This record gives sequence, C-alpha cells and structure tokens, in this order.
Amino acid sequence: MSLDVFLLILRLLLIVLLYLFLMQVVIAITRDLRKTALASANFEGKAPPVLGHLIVIDSGPSSIVPGTPFDLYPQTTIGRGPTNTIQLSESFISGEHTRLWYRNGSWYVQDAGSTNGTFLNNQPAREALPARPGDIIQVGFIRFKLAN
Amino acid sequence: MARPLNQSPGAFRRYRWKELGLLIVPFMILLLEMTQLLLVPLLKEDPAAAFSLKHLPTAQALIPVLGLIAVLLGTNLLFSVFFPKADQLLLPVVGLLSGIGMLMATRLGPNVGVPTLGSRQLIWVILGVFGCIMTLFLLRNMDWLRRYKYTWAALSIILVGITLVNTLRVKNLDSPTHDQLNIGPFNLQPSELLKICIVIFFAAYFSLTENRDILAGGSRFIGRLRLPPLRKLGPIFVMLGISLLLFLVVRELGLALLIYGLFLSMIYLGSGKFSYVVGGLLLFVLLGFIGYSLFSYVRLRFAVLSIDLVTPGAFNENLYQKSAYQIVQGLIALASGGIIGSGLGLGHPGFVPVIQSDMVLTALGEELGLAGLFAIIGLYLLLIYRGFRIAVEATDPFNQLLAAGLTSIFAIQTLIIAAGNMKLIPLTGIPLPFLSYGGSSVIANYIIIGILLRISHNTALEREGLA
Repeated sequence: MSLDVFLLILRLLLIVLLYLFLMQVVIAITRDLRKTALASANFEGKAPPVLGHLIVIDSGPSSIVPGTPFDLYPQTTIGRGPTNTIQLSESFISGEHTRLWYRNGSWYVQDAGSTNGTFLNNQPAREALPARPGDIIQVGFIRFKLAN
Repeated sequence: MARPLNQSPGAFRRYRWKELGLLIVPFMILLLEMTQLLLVPLLKEDPAAAFSLKHLPTAQALIPVLGLIAVLLGTNLLFSVFFPKADQLLLPVVGLLSGIGMLMATRLGPNVGVPTLGSRQLIWVILGVFGCIMTLFLLRNMDWLRRYKYTWAALSIILVGITLVNTLRVKNLDSPTHDQLNIGPFNLQPSELLKICIVIFFAAYFSLTENRDILAGGSRFIGRLRLPPLRKLGPIFVMLGISLLLFLVVRELGLALLIYGLFLSMIYLGSGKFSYVVGGLLLFVLLGFIGYSLFSYVRLRFAVLSIDLVTPGAFNENLYQKSAYQIVQGLIALASGGIIGSGLGLGHPGFVPVIQSDMVLTALGEELGLAGLFAIIGLYLLLIYRGFRIAVEATDPFNQLLAAGLTSIFAIQTLIIAAGNMKLIPLTGIPLPFLSYGGSSVIANYIIIGILLRISHNTALEREGLA
C-alpha cells in the first residue's frame, strides 16, 4: 500500500469519526430529554408535597387575618406577581419578594431582590439563611411563623 | 458544596461514565489527526513512498496529543469526585474543539514562521482547563457574581480604558494585533475578559425584579410609541455606549458587533419583548450608516464585499491588491478543499494572512473539506444547544440569564467570524471559539465553560433537594 492511499484512508476515517461523535452526542441528548420528559410527567401526576406552613402572626398594614396558614412546597416563592406560589396582593410586597426551599431536611429563606426586604428573626435574609420551625419570617411588613 | 463524594457508597455509580464514554471518540480523532500530520512530511519527500508499519509514529512523537488526553481524563476524574452533577456533554465537545485547534496550530506553525505554535497552544489549552476547574471551585455561590454587579461594570470600563490607552500608544491601527497588550512574553487581549464581565453585569441587572417589571411593562408612551423608561435603564445604556464608542475608536468592529448582539439577546431574554429587538436592529442600521459615512475604514470593509472574483476588471483588480487579498485567498482555500478536503497538512494555507487566528476556518475548510466543516459547525451547534439547555433548567432568573448570555457569546462570535470568512458580512478580527490560536481567547472561553458547568451543577443539586 502506498503512503498516499493510507493517508486517504485516514482522512475518510477522520470524517467518519467526527460524525460518529456528533451522533453519539445527539443520542446522549435525546436520552437526556426523554428522562426529563418522563420525570416531569411523573411530577405533574401528583401535586408537590406540602412540607410545612407559614402562619400569619402579624399582618402589618394588610388585611390578612392573623392565624391564616399558607402551604409550603419544596420550592415556594412569595410575591405580588401571579407566578408566585404564595401571592400577596399588597403594595409593599415586590413582584418576587422571597424564596423558600427545602433541602437536606432544612428550610432556607432568601430575599428575591425585594424593595422592603425579607427578615429571618429580624436578621435581613439577603443571602440564603437556614430556618427552623418556630422561626419568625418577615416578608415586607407581614410577619409569619414557620410551622410544620 | 465541594465535598468529596468518594466515601459515599454510590461513588462508582456517581462516576461520570457518560462523559468518559463520549471522550473516547475525540481521543481517537486527535490521535488519528496527529498520525496524519506526522506522516505528511514523508509523503512530501517522496510522493511514491510505500507505507509500512514502521512509519507509524512512536508514542514519543504523539506526546502533545497524549498530554491533552491525560489532562482531559484527569478533569473527568476530578469532576466525578467534586462535581458529579455538572453537565457531562460540555467537556467532550469543548475538548474535541480545542484539540482540533491545537493540531491546527501545530500544522500552521511552520507556515506562519512560528514552529512552536502548536505546543504554545497546548499550554494555553491546559491553562484554560485549569482556569475552568478553578472557576468551578471558586464560584460556590453564584450570588457573589450578582451582588457585585457594579464591580463587574467598573472592571469592564477599566478593561475598555486599558484597550484605548494601548491603542493610542500603538500607532499602526491596521495591524491585526493592535488590540493586544504585550506584558513580557504574554499577549493579553483585554476584550476577551471584557465580554464575560459585560454578560455578568447585564444578567445581574436584568434579573433584578424591578428592572424586569420596568422592561416588561409600565413604560411611558409618546403618541402610540412605547418608550422604555430611559432613566432606570441608564446604567445599561452607559455601559453599551462606552463599549461601542471605544470600539469604534479602537476599530474593533467585530467586538462592537459582539457586544451589541449580546445586549440585544439579553434584553430580549430579560423582557421577552420582540419589539426591543426590532428597535435595536433599526438603531443598529442607523448607527452602521453613520459609521459608514464617517469612517473610511468601514467603507473599505464594505467595499470588499462587492468584489467579483470571476469577472476581471480594473475595479476588482484594484480592490484585490488593496484590501480584499486576505478574504479572496481565504475563499480560494475554501473552494480548493472540496467535499472531503485535501487532508490535514496537505493544503496550502500559507497564502492566507492571519491564518492561525481569524482565518482558521478557511484552513479547516481546505484541509478537512466541506464534510469536516459541517461537522465542526455541528459541534458548535451542540455546544450552544447544551448551554441554552442549562439556562432553561436553571431555577432563578440570574442563573438563567447568565447561562443564556454566556452561551450567546459563543453563538454570536462563531456567526460573526464564520460569516466574515465566507464574505457574507465584512470581515472583522474576532477569534473562532476554541479553534483560533490565542491564549486569552482560549482561557476566557474555558472560564465561560466553567461558569456553565457550575450553574448546571447547582441546578442539579437544588433539584435533588426536592426529591
């Protein structure tokens, strides 16, 4: 076999391998998408579990009755906007005010860039802070107690 | 969060097998290309040479490629231990792209008079992978990027300032490397870091709830025309204006185009309003027209587009001699590649000026052919798809905007330089991500990959907290 024939074979092999790699990646992506679709289908089948409650203890200038419980899901957002899990139509609540999430057996509270701030036991929650049942979470001027 | 997972019982199952499996074919491709490169000189010596097994390169000759393979395998192992949930497709795609870039630099080195170009590029790639790993380790909390948004804005302005001062110092604005800072043996391009800083700033700014509210509605009307509230968006326009103005002065049309494209993509992603994009494009046409009538070099760049390669004539000849030489040579190189190309090392890319960075696509087109070029475009498509997928899966607006914006950098850059090389838009000097020779570019691109991997890892961790 002469050298230029060998190089031609290498050249063709190279192109074949390049497309083989592309195909491999596309297959991996398709499999990934199927898995996500399956997971979200399962997820939509059953509602997310209620893992706790926020109980209003001081409604501030709003008209919410103290003692009202709000359900807490593993990912909960509080705000004025319609996409929030807990929607509070008050002028002092920002569009997206507070995020709460549950990870490794603990709740975390973080302000979502609000104007009037979020406080955990009177500490500003600009960064994610771990919260325990019984802690006081203040969203704008409304104070909640975290309960199971 | 960088807690080693070795001790957990699922360490074997947690290993990034998918990534490892996807790395095998790229390794074969790189070894094959290197073999081809090493055999070419034999063929050039004696065109009728017979092939025998003893011609096959020894392991010693393959050291650059083996080094890159070792680095990628090490990264795979490291990610498996510390970041098992990060995206598994990015590293193989990016590894293959930068491997091809490294081999292309090796092949082009003798043609541009720098025989060590390949090993230099290898060092840059290794430093880039290192930078990617460092980014993953240092960026534990993405909030850190968001909180200091004005620091990033200030850093961008400083980088622009450095570029400007440097340009005023360098007299020759027409040299292709006038935007480089020469510090000792390094050629730094501040613009590469600038694009990352600008995207972080845009993402942090647009992810603020009140800014998004303002963008999405609640704006003033003049007649029937909706105007975004200019005062609130002041910082964005100041940033944009400064970068655009400076790059028109520094004559970096490609960078100005990239920053403007990023601005439009991010404002669209942040507000979801197509009218902003249309308005932005109209503004761009207006600015382009002003630039066209004010600056002669812009006119020259556009004139190149009108060159006709087939019909001879004084006009075409004059243009070819003056400014269209590079692009015409590039087109000839692309055309001579044909469908399967001339084979790595067997083309004649030496005729095209700046072949190793801006025009590297034409060299690839000549030696790998149309088929190879399509495969490379496919790699970019997959990279960009994956980046946007990471953005879609992220949970909060800042991470979504950041991932989408960083991915847009790759998309816009590839489009600008590929279209420029093919004479569809004026040619502007901007590197092709991962394939062009250049230290700052490779390192900056790997830092972007690091941020994307970190976002995907954080998202997966958050989702796991749900289950």
